[in-house]
Amino acid sequence: MAREILQGIAVSAGVSIGKAFFTNRRRRSVSFEIIPPGAADSEVARLEQAADDVREDLARARDNVPAELRDHAAIINSHMMICQDPKLIRAASQRIRDHHICAEWALDQAVDAIAAAFSAIEDPYIRERVQDVRAVAERIQARLVGRHAEPLRTPDERIVLMAHDLTPADAMGLPTVKIMSFATAEGGKTSHTGILARSLQIPAVVGVSSLEESVADGDLVIVDALRGLILVDPDEAELADYTDLKYQFENYQKSIRRQSTLPAETLDGYRIDVQANIELVEEVPQVLDGGGDGVGLYRTEYAFLNRRTPPTEEELYEEYAQLASLLSPRRVVFRTLDVGADKMLAEQSQLQEPNPALGLRAIRFCLRHQEVFRRQLRAILRASAHGSASLLFPMISGLHELRQAKHILNEVRAELDAAGQPYDPDMPVGIMVELPSAVLISEALAQEVDFFSIGTNDLIQYSLGIDRGNKHVSYLYQPLHPAIVRSIKYVVDSAHRMGISVCVCGEVASDPYCLPILLGMQIDAISIAPQAIPGIKHILRRTNMEECKELLRDVLSASTVSTINRMVKETIYNRFPEELTFFSSMLDQDD
Amino acid sequence: MQEPIEETQEGLTVTVCVVNDQGLHARPAARLAQEAQKFGSELFLAMDGMEVDAKSILDILSLAAAKGTRLTLRGVGADARHALEHLSALFSNRFREE
Repeated sequence: MAREILQGIAVSAGVSIGKAFFTNRRRRSVSFEIIPPGAADSEVARLEQAADDVREDLARARDNVPAELRDHAAIINSHMMICQDPKLIRAASQRIRDHHICAEWALDQAVDAIAAAFSAIEDPYIRERVQDVRAVAERIQARLVGRHAEPLRTPDERIVLMAHDLTPADAMGLPTVKIMSFATAEGGKTSHTGILARSLQIPAVVGVSSLEESVADGDLVIVDALRGLILVDPDEAELADYTDLKYQFENYQKSIRRQSTLPAETLDGYRIDVQANIELVEEVPQVLDGGGDGVGLYRTEYAFLNRRTPPTEEELYEEYAQLASLLSPRRVVFRTLDVGADKMLAEQSQLQEPNPALGLRAIRFCLRHQEVFRRQLRAILRASAHGSASLLFPMISGLHELRQAKHILNEVRAELDAAGQPYDPDMPVGIMVELPSAVLISEALAQEVDFFSIGTNDLIQYSLGIDRGNKHVSYLYQPLHPAIVRSIKYVVDSAHRMGISVCVCGEVASDPYCLPILLGMQIDAISIAPQAIPGIKHILRRTNMEECKELLRDVLSASTVSTINRMVKETIYNRFPEELTFFSSMLDQDD
Repeated sequence: MQEPIEETQEGLTVTVCVVNDQGLHARPAARLAQEAQKFGSELFLAMDGMEVDAKSILDILSLAAAKGTRLTLRGVGADARHALEHLSALFSNRFREE
């Protein structure tokens, strides 16, 4: 057994084995000293010199940024601006003079004051920029105490790079060819380290809280960025296992990439469309490279968030038309505005709803605020002239809502006709089936739309009556609960009886244990995260439809979640024992 | 389309609008402060009655100005007119590098 196994968060998949190399460790506590009278001027000069030095270090780091990592150059640039910001250095200098405290202490206070001011800002992105201010201040403090007089230590062999936290400037000072993987004590799913690791395509695990206490320079470590583990000083058996796993993973990645453009067809010839859920036009290349059959769910909320006034019709039209033409002849499904619950519009946040998940959101919001809804419909219709567009209404609970929405759509069509604006008159119109009420009346709904899209994440939440984000009840979030399996089956059967197609959107569709059950129901398409497409297509291409139907029959005859989960895990695991090591499953949480 | 520069008792002012998608986030804020620091005049940015130092990236960020926000740039000093012209052009060019 390894001397220690540390748990973190995997942010860039892979495995690496090598020697640990720390570029920086947590800074020691800064000194808190009162300076003698008359020493203020020289203390201020010392602070200014340190800030200048750091600024020069950063400028050098920025100039060394390779062209393909331009985003990081921009981050370093903003750190340079923070470093010379009057708010930081002038405020610290003022504190040195007023309170006769040393530069390190004054800087700490200045940062705390900035942090307090920023904590009142609503925009979470801006609020988090305090992290950048702290990173810069720590560099200046390190300079002040004479550390980092040299640039960061650089390795002379290939290493596993470890750090308390890795700022982009730190990373840029390092020769990337020598870095096999990253591990940091700080950081979460969206940290800079993860972005950097993914763009360099090397494994990374962040948020390993005891990293600095448990790992010394030169220790042999295994970075398991499939499960988010760091094995310190592993034994021979572990080394052998991981050498194997690393080799398999790398081969697996290559093979699924190579085959990702082949059709999504089972061994016995049942074909579905594997589409992507995206929210930015920038994600389209990843969808196409990964072999996606278009976009099954385009989330249109992004353009409406973080701004004071809603976007104009022209802005929306430009965005939608670009998307439709980039993807053409593949399909793109525009889901109309699904704000509410977790994504508030300014207008909604004023409502103070006690229970936003059950409040004025999605289609309800659009039917109430028709000017926004109509503008979006006009833009989508106009974009339909540029490719293969479909329209999707979210959170439909009954026929009346659907008819109201379609009525407005018809009025907008008539306006476009009158204005002589071109659009696709046959653009398919569908609904998200994500409420239990819609499941039960799905046959009636199917008679009035062209397709269904089953939103499993919300359907599970609303059917089982649990909030997945609430840790006290999240164990009840069971995608294969008999009620969920039967609901999905019921919707698929209703749709097919009425001759319309069904797509399943949501994590269930990209879970290798759940997918075969969906296939057994003869769904027509799935829509999943773009990065999951190659792996899921690879599994699907080696699945047998007859086996899926058999598994579905067994699942439908079972009455408890645990029986179903056990049955599914055994069957699927036996089918793809090696490959499933590379996937995480929603079913794993009950182990 | 840039708004005209006006002379007031507190110096020269011009109205600018945030047109880039992300609003005044880190990158545009860094660029604005960087350019403002090239001028000798005192430069300020005001929104909803709150006025901050246009040479400070932290001050600019603290406005959290989203896309569509209208702000007032104010300059006091010898090169204020030139500074205002230059900075308001940055806003309308969405802070793109030349």
